[in-house]
Amino acid sequence: MKVLKGYQKPIIEVHNFSFSYEEVDEQRLFDGLDFKLNQNEVTLLMGPSGSGKSSLALCLNGLYPEAVEGTSSGDIFFLGENIQEYEKGELTQEIGIVFQDPESQFCMITVEDELAFTLENRKIPASDIRGRIESVLRAVGMKGFNQHKIHEFSGGQKQKIALAAVLLLEPKLLILDEPTANLDPVSSLEFIGLVEGIQREQQISVLIIEHQAEEWLRLIDRILVMGSDGLLLASNVPERLFIEERQLLEREGIFLPGKYSNRPAFRERWHWDVQSDEKVLSARGLSFSRGKQDVLKKVNMDIRGGEFVAVAGENGAGKSTLLQLLAGLLEPGEGEICMFDRPLRKWQENDLRKRMGFVFQNPEHQFITDTVYEELTFGMKLNGYAEEEMKNTAEGLMEQFYLTEHRHSNPFALSGGQKRRLSVATVLDETPDVLLFDEPTFGQDAATTVELMDYVMGLKAKGKAIIFVTHDMNILDTADRVDVLEQGKVAFSGPPDSLWQERKLLSEARLLLPARLRQKQREGEIYDLIH
Amino acid sequence: MISSINPSIKLVAVLIPGILLGLTYGVFTPLLYFIFMLMVTFTMTNIPILRWLKLFSPFIILALGFAWTTMLYANQTFSGGEEIFSLWAFEVTAGSFQTGVSVGLRSLCFGALSLMFILTTDSTKLMLSFMQQFKLPPKITYGILAGYRFLPVFQHELQILRQAHRVRGFSRARGIKGRLNQFRRYAIPLLANGIRKAERVSIAMESKGFTGDTDRTHYHRMTVGKRDWLFFALMVGVLIAVFALSYYLGYLQIFGKQF
Repeated sequence: MKVLKGYQKPIIEVHNFSFSYEEVDEQRLFDGLDFKLNQNEVTLLMGPSGSGKSSLALCLNGLYPEAVEGTSSGDIFFLGENIQEYEKGELTQEIGIVFQDPESQFCMITVEDELAFTLENRKIPASDIRGRIESVLRAVGMKGFNQHKIHEFSGGQKQKIALAAVLLLEPKLLILDEPTANLDPVSSLEFIGLVEGIQREQQISVLIIEHQAEEWLRLIDRILVMGSDGLLLASNVPERLFIEERQLLEREGIFLPGKYSNRPAFRERWHWDVQSDEKVLSARGLSFSRGKQDVLKKVNMDIRGGEFVAVAGENGAGKSTLLQLLAGLLEPGEGEICMFDRPLRKWQENDLRKRMGFVFQNPEHQFITDTVYEELTFGMKLNGYAEEEMKNTAEGLMEQFYLTEHRHSNPFALSGGQKRRLSVATVLDETPDVLLFDEPTFGQDAATTVELMDYVMGLKAKGKAIIFVTHDMNILDTADRVDVLEQGKVAFSGPPDSLWQERKLLSEARLLLPARLRQKQREGEIYDLIH
Repeated sequence: MISSINPSIKLVAVLIPGILLGLTYGVFTPLLYFIFMLMVTFTMTNIPILRWLKLFSPFIILALGFAWTTMLYANQTFSGGEEIFSLWAFEVTAGSFQTGVSVGLRSLCFGALSLMFILTTDSTKLMLSFMQQFKLPPKITYGILAGYRFLPVFQHELQILRQAHRVRGFSRARGIKGRLNQFRRYAIPLLANGIRKAERVSIAMESKGFTGDTDRTHYHRMTVGKRDWLFFALMVGVLIAVFALSYYLGYLQIFGKQF
């Protein structure tokens, strides 16, 4: 049971706090914030991407504004003391942060060295270090991994090590900045369970920054909502917030957890059946190996016009490799891929690229030119289209993807959602027959995800074949067909509804049920408990 | 075993013979030291002979190349003596032959010294030892250590970029100007991502209480003990002994001057 210490002084008190990146006070990232975090409470901070949630976390532990030469005004108190009174490096030990990107929060090669780094910073005597590392690894379920190399770990394991490193600070406040945004669904649930256990055991205050409240809900005491204009819009207990402030949340593009939402599930939102019989892409006996390791073994696959196929599976199961093979970016070791019954290698590269679109996980990888307009006309220019025609197509795309006012902006300077939209728009300049997407919703917020899916479903309705590699179970749920890869083989191929019956396969491939079914399952459990 | 010698001491113990041999022009001195290096490599390290030969073979080819060109184009100062053989318009005299062999042997010595150092030294321990023995500031030490992690990431990103550009039909842009543009286009996203990642890592490091303060504890204590000095004495001592011997036999040449 949680011991609430509300009568004690709050762990964090923020008074009229503003922050901006520029010296000039023109555009404030957040403005006049006033809130408190209580001891031993778990608080969730929600808000659309770009509202400055991550920057706020770094203001709380005193690294900002110095680290970015920004300016701030107002006061932050940690246990009643102004954080400006703290020496450099003192406050960071009281407030530990786990960051979003598992790739860029370590500085050492092995687990042991990384964890020792934290303890050395705290000037813990060398003789104590081994014991502390052992016990924290036990706490995060990574016992015996001392000498492993961090870069060989999966995302989920990396985040556990990141949490372990932060716990070694013995912080009074733990901040989790979208720690599961880049994890597969099972790893996310594992991580959330881990945090729950540690919070209960160590009675630690926690601030969670997250787009999607769903899975965290059971451990959350209070929710703060920050708007895109940098103002604090609401602060309430979850049950009341999701009911009383529904309109506000929807306006800010924040997703309501399943049981509070009256929006149709993804699946009901988009479901058209417009499949044709024409095979657009087909793969026969596809094998691929990297060095001595077999990545794919004898994979068969057919995709028809107007069909939406989702490829799922654990990390390392060969999903991205399969997509790259289908796109002709890699050569298969064995087997053949045909587009419209003609082998890929017989296609002219030029024609192939016109008829096939590929959207990468990171939109920035696709940007080639300096402005949005040039980006959209790049392919057409190469193919020698007339100026007038290019202009019309580009105008149309910019309008459709809400990019008209950014036509002269540099693609790299766009916001996350705009980058995603542009990356999709660039593959639609010509009229491709098949579109391949490599985890396009990874690390994107809810609003961007829905927007992307709207476009994708619109394309499907026009008869395009769509292939998605994804970890998002709610997207799998909307597909016409799901292919599950397991150790390089197709372990399942069929409609999502039959996949959800295969419990054994789901757990082997580290997949979950989609939100709508898990919701039902939970309600069922409660029903069982009562009756 | 050499792998347990303190990396900083090992580096100095390898650098001193390296520099001094670079100034020695005779044949006898580098030959003797090279034989000694072979003995050290095969008795005091765990490197399998085959692996060593594989890694050392480029050095042999390089050394042969150096020796050959020096032989043909030796400087007037060294090319005295009788003509041994002539090839086309080139005359190889006793002097230039000797110089060539000497250059080749010195290259082999450098190769053997560097290989022994690289194959027996852990890169993390090397940096930690620089911090603890040479008082390299922690900021630089941990900065470089964090940089190690970036190399595989960069490689992976470049590969994805290539694919992404191909998908956009970029292979269709040709010519020198196209190539130049292509390089620019790879460079910008790579750098942008690199800077962003570096920034994140530095924020993460500071969030774990790192301030760059030299007052910190050391989990891996890099100590300098008797064994380290013994190794140092061995490497430098044998060098002096070799110098003395060749001086005694009248073979010692430093900077082309006979002693």
